[in-house]
Amino acid sequence: MSTATTSARPGGARRRLAGWLAAVAALALPLAACGSGGGQESGDGKVTLTVAGWSLAKNTEFGALFDAFQKANPGITVKPLDIPADDYSEKVTTMLAGGDRTDVMAMKTLTDYARHASRGQLLEVTDLAKAPDGAKLAGLPAYDLQGKYYALPFRHDFWLLYYNKKYFKEAGLPQPEALTWDQYASLARRLTKGDGAKKVYGAYHHTWRSVVQAIAAAQTGGDQLGGDYGFFADQYKMALALQKEGVVLDFGTATSQHSDYRTMFETGAAAMMPMGTWYAAGVIQAKKKGATDVDWGLAPLPQRPGATGVTTFGAPTAFAVNSRSEHADAARKFVAFAASRAGAQAIVKVGVVPALQAPEITDAYFSLDGMPSDALSKKAFAPDKVVLEMPVSDKSSDVDTILNEEHQLIMVGEKSVDDGLRAMNDRVKTEVLN
Amino acid sequence: MIHATTRPAPVAPHDPPGPAAARRRPWRGTVVGWSFILPNFIGFAVFTLVPVLAAFALAFMDWDSYGTPEWVGLSNFRRLLGDQTVRVALLNTLYYAAGHIPLTLVAALAMALALNSKVRGARFFRTVAFLPYITSLVAVAVVWNMLFNPDAGPVNQLLQALGVAEPPRWVASTTWAMPAVIVTSVWRDMGYYMVLYLAGLQTIPVEYHEAAKVDGANAWHRFWSITLPCLRPTTFFVLVMLTIQSFKVLDLIVVMTKGGPGRSTLVLSQLVYREGIVEGHFGYSSAIALVLFAIVLTVTVVQFRFNERRRVR
Repeated sequence: MSTATTSARPGGARRRLAGWLAAVAALALPLAACGSGGGQESGDGKVTLTVAGWSLAKNTEFGALFDAFQKANPGITVKPLDIPADDYSEKVTTMLAGGDRTDVMAMKTLTDYARHASRGQLLEVTDLAKAPDGAKLAGLPAYDLQGKYYALPFRHDFWLLYYNKKYFKEAGLPQPEALTWDQYASLARRLTKGDGAKKVYGAYHHTWRSVVQAIAAAQTGGDQLGGDYGFFADQYKMALALQKEGVVLDFGTATSQHSDYRTMFETGAAAMMPMGTWYAAGVIQAKKKGATDVDWGLAPLPQRPGATGVTTFGAPTAFAVNSRSEHADAARKFVAFAASRAGAQAIVKVGVVPALQAPEITDAYFSLDGMPSDALSKKAFAPDKVVLEMPVSDKSSDVDTILNEEHQLIMVGEKSVDDGLRAMNDRVKTEVLN
Repeated sequence: MIHATTRPAPVAPHDPPGPAAARRRPWRGTVVGWSFILPNFIGFAVFTLVPVLAAFALAFMDWDSYGTPEWVGLSNFRRLLGDQTVRVALLNTLYYAAGHIPLTLVAALAMALALNSKVRGARFFRTVAFLPYITSLVAVAVVWNMLFNPDAGPVNQLLQALGVAEPPRWVASTTWAMPAVIVTSVWRDMGYYMVLYLAGLQTIPVEYHEAAKVDGANAWHRFWSITLPCLRPTTFFVLVMLTIQSFKVLDLIVVMTKGGPGRSTLVLSQLVYREGIVEGHFGYSSAIALVLFAIVLTVTVVQFRFNERRRVR
């Protein structure tokens, strides 16, 4: 911009102003064009559908779904919108608030879903939710908002136990079937061996609070938003005892070196690891690349003594239609497809667990190259009950922060279990529930 | 950080002595002056001034970044007074500042004095000392985290070799996490302030030192009575910059400890981010930011007053 022209004529200033306005307008034009991310309808009746997902290169289920959907619907082209996983929730919140026209958005968490649905940013899809094709759609009830649905789950992850078969064989131990947490702890002790860099830990507990808290909540029926956290105690005592004995990697060490659970399991540094089903795709990929030769198996999550059936925790992921979408019909078609048998078949091929549960889907999953095929692994895949990782409420996020802070203090040994639980009770009651 | 020090650019005089034509149109100089400032000012206004003013207003509202902001008066501030987490974050921020400001200042000055001499390799070491400042902060934080690893970290291995039976558990301990963060931040920042001090040292006339030497002053006397007083403008600048920087520390702590363990390294800026961006309580978050702003402003004003009084004496 030529702002420094020193015109001596009186009209100069006004003309300059006009020039600036023109420049500003010219700058604003492309900005306005960026604002609408919606698809375009070309002359031949073809529809371009914009679908937002996170870190598409890493999360191959998105691409697999897009391809399968386009093959099934030749008139519709999917234009992926890639958003980094860490920024996803904030980005989508901003986009929807700004009136963006992206047709379909993946809902990363139930909290996000509830927020957007209550703001009227998502199109109701209740009619689709009531017509699954014969099979069960896991996680669907979590999307029920007063009898209405604004998204359909397409994948459903839950926690189970990953274990290294080689270490079990070497120690002459049977496979970890129907374990209680006490049995799990004693197995972990027996599997711990070696020293220094070559040490094999009996188990690896990642630093997330869910590893202790969500398991305890799911298996005792405790309420993580309730403000009374005595039900965490047993799980904490077990985790702390193993840590003190050097059977699991120390929490402080794990945080300070940004310990990666994938590395711990794939390099054989840990014999057992409670973790979510999403990681199965990771092991398969690492094996395919030749990055690991771990001989792995899946087992149901250990249970509390006297438990009937297998109870674990997990969380679904869904697709929703933007209420501002200009291609609502095609968008609804996509959401329905993702939750359908055909959608499930597409994502199972990349090792991701679909929300749709049917025998042929499970078979397809275990016939994948690199997947363990023993009976226990298959059994692990059908838990009796999957509890939501964290109940959805407007208090969830505040409670989560407090539970996480106190979790760290207990795990690094700054607070005893009793003191830590008392602090959780006090803080949640006074800071959130008051 | 830099724009905090930018003085308002001098506006062209209203009635510049010059050709008669210019005198007849006194606004001309103003327009020219403004036209030079304007590009910068527009950027400042759009991206700094307006958001800052908006944040001031938001502090008195309840807003989740989506709905219509609702006027709630002083309720955000009342909540703030009773909020235990705000108190913890405020104390942590003061703790960080109390460690980071003096340590960085002394380290930077000491390094500048050492590298101001004409020893062989001084240039090389100056560059080396500046490197941490231009290194990616994330890399710095991750590497220092590894150094401070409580079990296998080199820092603790060294301490154990020196006979410390139970070395601190650093980032895995509520007592030692903040010192670990402070050490890292001092290491990172001292190179930058060293350069400022080096520039300050260059302005001290050699004659002063020569004269003092002739009068029999030893090195300590010369430092205390010549170098330090001559560096006062630099020290003042460094102090103000360090204060502002310390109070708004965020990045290093987020990467190193995420505010943990527990809340032991949670600072105000991080709380502002958490309440605003993560939780969507933009009104409350703005109220905390306003408090932080008031603190920094007060401290800086006090520093300026103090400096002026010293100058008068």
